[in-house]
Amino acid sequence: MRKFLVVTLMLLGMLAVLAAPLLADETMDRIEKTGKLRVGFREDSIPFAFIDPKVGKQVGFSVDMTYELVAKLSERFGKQIEIEPYTVTTKTRIPLVANGTIDVEMGSTTYTQAREEEVDFSLPFFFSETTFLVPKNSPIKTMKDLNGKRLGGARGTTNLKAMEDQAAKGLYKPKEIQVFEGHAQGFLALQTGKIDAYATDRSLLEGLRMKDAKPENWRTCDFAIAYEPYGYMMRECTSDFRDFLNNTILWSIKTGKFYELYDKWMGPKGPVPIPMSATYKAYLEMIVYPMEDNWWKKK
Amino acid sequence: MRLAYNFDWGVLWRAPYGVWLLQGIWLTIQLGLIAWIIALVLGVILGTMRIAPWPWVRRLATAYVEVFRNVPFLVQLFFWYFAGPMLFGQTLMFKINAISGLNYYVAIVGLGLYTASRVAEHVRAGFASIARDQFQAALSTGLTEIQMYRFVIIPYALRIIIPPLTTEFLTIFKNSSVAMTIGVAETTFMTYKIDSETFHGLEATTGAMVVYLLIGLGVVKLMGMIESRFRIAGLVGRK
Repeated sequence: MRKFLVVTLMLLGMLAVLAAPLLADETMDRIEKTGKLRVGFREDSIPFAFIDPKVGKQVGFSVDMTYELVAKLSERFGKQIEIEPYTVTTKTRIPLVANGTIDVEMGSTTYTQAREEEVDFSLPFFFSETTFLVPKNSPIKTMKDLNGKRLGGARGTTNLKAMEDQAAKGLYKPKEIQVFEGHAQGFLALQTGKIDAYATDRSLLEGLRMKDAKPENWRTCDFAIAYEPYGYMMRECTSDFRDFLNNTILWSIKTGKFYELYDKWMGPKGPVPIPMSATYKAYLEMIVYPMEDNWWKKK
Repeated sequence: MRLAYNFDWGVLWRAPYGVWLLQGIWLTIQLGLIAWIIALVLGVILGTMRIAPWPWVRRLATAYVEVFRNVPFLVQLFFWYFAGPMLFGQTLMFKINAISGLNYYVAIVGLGLYTASRVAEHVRAGFASIARDQFQAALSTGLTEIQMYRFVIIPYALRIIIPPLTTEFLTIFKNSSVAMTIGVAETTFMTYKIDSETFHGLEATTGAMVVYLLIGLGVVKLMGMIESRFRIAGLVGRK
């Protein structure tokens, strides 16, 4: 009996030791086992991840990047990996990633140090300016004009935090800063006169403006109150998955697919035209390290 | 496997988060109490209208109760806050929306109107549980209909319905949290604000739960005191 116990314990011990490397990245293992990648998509983040009423589901730059990721994952694991989409809002995106409901959030989330402590980010893939959307005839032209005005922002965004911090520091003295549940609500408040200016990233503001019946009635201000890098969020301690996502992004830059997608969504003919600045282009070229073909295959 | 969350209960009382939470609690109390006064007054009137002898009065009250009872409160609040000003035409809409703190007033009125429909139903139930002889006895002493309601029936009915009214009073404080979606900076709003600043949502939400629980217990105690103070011996309950 004693010998039996000793042998069993030894076998279990060996199993634990041998199994340890396999537990290194549970996200990659789970994707391989279940064949599904759980992705969180925004619904109102034009042009990164938003619902196109004509198509009826999510489209956008980040959505297309997800398809790239899934294509590479499928080649790695030798079977078709499906996307299991989850809807996230600015309020729920971090909790859902941190508690494991979704594997990755592909949208337009700003990379900040505070957020880094809760989740992990991919390489920054876009740089946006925080600015204001105002009516065409608004007197707001510079940061000083914000004094005494009613400003609005979406709950849970870095834009709102930037506004509140700057107002507290005294850079400008707005009459009040109202909080809305989402960009659509904020824009509605702007249209009905509840606020004088609505703040979020320039790309999102342009998207809101384009969706209006008369886009020429609105304009985005020239000045920016903050500059923010976007990254894709995932849980901490999943470095294999993070490396894979980063490699997908870098490979798309190297093969030119990134520029294709950028042109599709933010090029001159895209839904939200934003010219790629020279520094942005240089950044993209410089972050690509030497990669060989078939980097996605298992070694 | 390490637990990827460090608890930090200090967010509940550390400055400035503690101050935020206190400001939120004060707003919740304001919203609940003022809306409750509106709801009570309007609810008693509507409930009485529901059993009035004149058919058009009854139909008016029934229409109100059905509309406000069946639509979810969140939808009602959004309607009043966003679509409401539009009902007054373009120029007036801009004037209304320029009012500072509009969401606070809209939240109180919306909460009051919604809860009034529910109070009206409780009042009607109270009337239904009063035996017909009371009505006839009151009328036979020479009181008019309105006097009968004012001096005999309504005081009696209000005592009977104190338990369901307690529930409505509690519900009004819980529903006040919905006002966060139109930007009113009450307890739940502040909870999310603390969460977005510190990412310690667990502690913040637990704090909010405790706050609402304490408010609720306070309400129950208050209504219990009112019930025993206004009890009519032999008329309601065992004593």
